[in-house]
Amino acid sequence: MSKRQLAMVMDLNKCIGCQTCTVACKTQWTNRNGREYMYWNNVETYPGDGYPKKWMELGGGFDAAGDLQEGIIPNIEADYGIPWDYNYDSLAEQNLIGNKADKDGYGVHGAEKAGLRPNVEPTWGPNWDEDEGKGNFPSDNYFFYLPRICNHCTNPGCLSACPRDAIFKREEDGVVLVDLDRCQGYRYCIAGCPYKKIYFNPKISKSEKCILCFPRIEQGLPPACAQQCVGRIRFVGFLDDEESQVYKLVKKYKVALPLRSDYGTQPNIYYIPPTEAPAKFDAEGRIIEGSQRIPMEELETLFGQEVHEVVKTLKGEMEKRKKTGESEILDLLISYKHSEMFRLDNNYYQEVAKAKGAHPLAPIDDRYVKGKNTTEITHFKAHA
Amino acid sequence: MRRIAKSIVATAFVASALSAEGSIVAAKIGNDVKPAQLKSSDKLWSKAKESEVTLYPQTTIKMNDKKGNAANAENKAKVAKVAALYNDKCIAFRITWPDGTQSIQDGTASDKYPDGFAVQIATNFEDAKKLPYIGMGSEGRPVLVHLNKAVTKHYEPNGNKDVALQVNRDNTNAFGDDLKKFDGDVANAAKTHYMRSFISEGFRSMTEIKDDSSKFNMTMDYDTKGKAWSGTLGRPLSDANIDLSKAGAVPVAFAVWDGEKMGRDGLKLLSTWIAVDLDGKKGNEELVKELTEAPKGNAESGKANVEAMCTSCHTLSKEKVAAMPYMAPNLSNIGGYSTAAYLAESIADPSAVVVPGYNRNAHKNFAWYNVDDKGNRTSTMPPMMTDKAMIDDAVAYLKTLKAEVEK
Repeated sequence: MSKRQLAMVMDLNKCIGCQTCTVACKTQWTNRNGREYMYWNNVETYPGDGYPKKWMELGGGFDAAGDLQEGIIPNIEADYGIPWDYNYDSLAEQNLIGNKADKDGYGVHGAEKAGLRPNVEPTWGPNWDEDEGKGNFPSDNYFFYLPRICNHCTNPGCLSACPRDAIFKREEDGVVLVDLDRCQGYRYCIAGCPYKKIYFNPKISKSEKCILCFPRIEQGLPPACAQQCVGRIRFVGFLDDEESQVYKLVKKYKVALPLRSDYGTQPNIYYIPPTEAPAKFDAEGRIIEGSQRIPMEELETLFGQEVHEVVKTLKGEMEKRKKTGESEILDLLISYKHSEMFRLDNNYYQEVAKAKGAHPLAPIDDRYVKGKNTTEITHFKAHA
Repeated sequence: MRRIAKSIVATAFVASALSAEGSIVAAKIGNDVKPAQLKSSDKLWSKAKESEVTLYPQTTIKMNDKKGNAANAENKAKVAKVAALYNDKCIAFRITWPDGTQSIQDGTASDKYPDGFAVQIATNFEDAKKLPYIGMGSEGRPVLVHLNKAVTKHYEPNGNKDVALQVNRDNTNAFGDDLKKFDGDVANAAKTHYMRSFISEGFRSMTEIKDDSSKFNMTMDYDTKGKAWSGTLGRPLSDANIDLSKAGAVPVAFAVWDGEKMGRDGLKLLSTWIAVDLDGKKGNEELVKELTEAPKGNAESGKANVEAMCTSCHTLSKEKVAAMPYMAPNLSNIGGYSTAAYLAESIADPSAVVVPGYNRNAHKNFAWYNVDDKGNRTSTMPPMMTDKAMIDDAVAYLKTLKAEVEK
């Protein structure tokens, strides 16, 4: 267990599945050098197969006795989906619908000319089943978006599976990282992670994963996925910082829950479960008053029994707000300001750097630097 | 008269020892030859006598890859042929092992694995009874491991600051000749071989030697007709990590991985310590004797004791599974890859060699050892037997625990 733990809360009621987080992460970290197929951050439709395909059925994590479970390593084409490309030359030829196969295999053999075609026949990819969900449209269909990054677990399955001690959890903030120098590309970590959020980079033959944007955090910037989120659904802060909104949502008001905590890895990414969905319709298309489109069993699968209490609290707070106009929880969840949602404790990181004998880097932005050990910083006064 | 009889017996013993399983004779070659440049097809290998080395499936610990475990569940032992050459400066090995499929890791898949082989050498073998633990050494008894795998181009992080070459060609600003140059530079940044050497004091501690202090060469060639790999290793007799210049015999172990069966790391076949007798050089006779001698004890009575005393923690075979399967090394192939001396030492003094075992976080309730403040590891196993004859019997039985050889 690390000395402190940095955590993230995601409010699923507000996620609109726009994938801005996904793209922010991809352009920052995974658009090159063997990482093209990886999505350290992805947003999947739940219920659905997710990414990689049926990840919840691929094993890993711990059983009730605390023993690491066997897992399956997904295949790039079949389970992740490979990034395909197009023969853009056909655009210059103004030939979009031709069917002839060219020398590289674009198009269909026997046709006269190749039109705009993917260079491989894709069979699966992230978001392959986007917005499908379950149920019948329009009477009782339902789905919601589930953004996922590495959970930076307190008891990581990947770390426990590594036979080379190449994975470690940072003492200062609990970020789980791969030491690429020690990694030998065995991939037991992928089998061990129940969330399948550690990936094999075949080009360099080593495992890679979400790093919680630690180089940004150390300089006072929130992770790219969190800062770019247009719905402001992501809160970032230390779990021991009682002023942080993360602390308040997770520990004080207990409305944020970890995903699949039954895997036993003690994840540190928390979710506000989705409480808001339209009511169901009857056969004539009339609203069934008081009906619940998202079955509680689905939420129980994801967030455990505690979800009942959380939904009750959230519904209660909404009622309270309607009646009195007051609710601190809802004020938090509205997320008025980024500067309140992110508390990255920059002085703490500066002290950690000094203690390691490294040169502390000055923060790039002064808005998110506050924290338990940061009321004022040397460069400028933190905003009240 | 009695003395003469004794010496005849001794000579007879040495002669039989040299041809027995457990030893290889390294033939001396001229000093003009550089074994580091020997390919597997080189004619010089005909000078060396090939010896059979049996490679047993590693079952000491079970890895957590479900498909990999299923693919390796019914593994049998394989017989490899090993030849060795040496001169005053270098030593070279050639190992040929059967493998029905040629698996090459080509840098596009997340779930494909390469065939490979490794040669492990003990760095200190003065005491033939205290060789390093066969599975990549043990604390205070380091080993040097030379590893080669069948891979095509790969681009491991190299510290050469060539990050500009890591972007995709579509993301560069280059066109025409500039793009061709970019492609060329990228191709040059690739590695096409996977030769590595490691120092290790027990698995998990294995650390790659990256300071150029280990100069060696390895090759791997697949014979598609004979369905077998042939791998060579050539290295100096001495370097900063190991000094074999004064040795008369050297303990060496071999391991092979089958990519088809998702082999890597612990999913492998390995040999026990083999004495490589440097032909014509004196010294380390004890080592050869130790590694070739048949166990003295009575396996029958050993069986009864081991089954009675050890099976709550140790699995002995598919039929005799431990009551607590995560508690201790699985012994079902222990006779294949462990030496008699190691087994005897571990029974009498379990903390003499502590196998690191699982990542301690993977099975927290089954700690194989405890660590004190100073980092000293004490085995969870109490000394079970003290009587010498009883230990000999147990060792004789444990030496029979091994998979049968694949036909």
